[in-house]
Amino acid sequence: MLKAHFDDVIHAPLRLRICGLLRPVDRLDFAVLRTALEVSDATLSKHLRTLAEAGYLVSDKMASAERGDARRVMWLSLSGSGRAALDGYLQALRDIAGTL
Amino acid sequence: METNSHGPSRDEALHALAGPSADRARLAEGIRVPWSLLAGFGAVAAWWVGAAGGTAPGEDYDRPAVGGLALAVALVIIYLIQRETGVRFASMGWQAGMAVTGVVAGCLVLFSVSLGLVAFGLHWAVIATTVLAFGLTTWLTGVAYRSAARDLRHA
Repeated sequence: MLKAHFDDVIHAPLRLRICGLLRPVDRLDFAVLRTALEVSDATLSKHLRTLAEAGYLVSDKMASAERGDARRVMWLSLSGSGRAALDGYLQALRDIAGTL
Repeated sequence: METNSHGPSRDEALHALAGPSADRARLAEGIRVPWSLLAGFGAVAAWWVGAAGGTAPGEDYDRPAVGGLALAVALVIIYLIQRETGVRFASMGWQAGMAVTGVVAGCLVLFSVSLGLVAFGLHWAVIATTVLAFGLTTWLTGVAYRSAARDLRHA
């Protein structure tokens, strides 16, 4: 049974959008997420850090052969608690909106 | 965990619910089918079907040993596709599943046809089944990938 509840971490609009994009996939690259959200690296990084500190986000860095510098590809995914928090938050919104 | 005891209004809730759908649609639109890597699947399929040309159907038949290696190469291609596109799907969807089933079934049929051709001494004709395996696999994996990307909109 899905328990509807509001969560201040997810309540911020951009963090809700981040979680909404990560929910249906196994994981996304940082650059793909940034492009889909149309935000800057710094803005996205700040919100990702908040989600990670709440234990809702898992990041995994790996080397990229295409890049000559020290940058790495960063894979992002929602943790189990992140998925549960998002589902509960969306259910709370649906309850208010009166949708299924 | 802190909770917001007041919560948003109905209009705010409707607006918030629409946001993730629009983002997913934008994400799905931004995903390009990696045809060059999908052609790698076609090459693996062609390699496996073409291996039938080097066999001797009948009592002396030895199954070609490329199966395990082809599977390993396919896994490497999956890894490269994920790195190239920056997306790892949690689920491909039933349409993609049907397309992949079509790849497996098509390659099995083409492999059997190739063995039949070799049994009749038509080794040269295996070129045709090999080309067919390449085209069929590349096309169907493209169908599967497009379908998986499209499904993101409705996830």
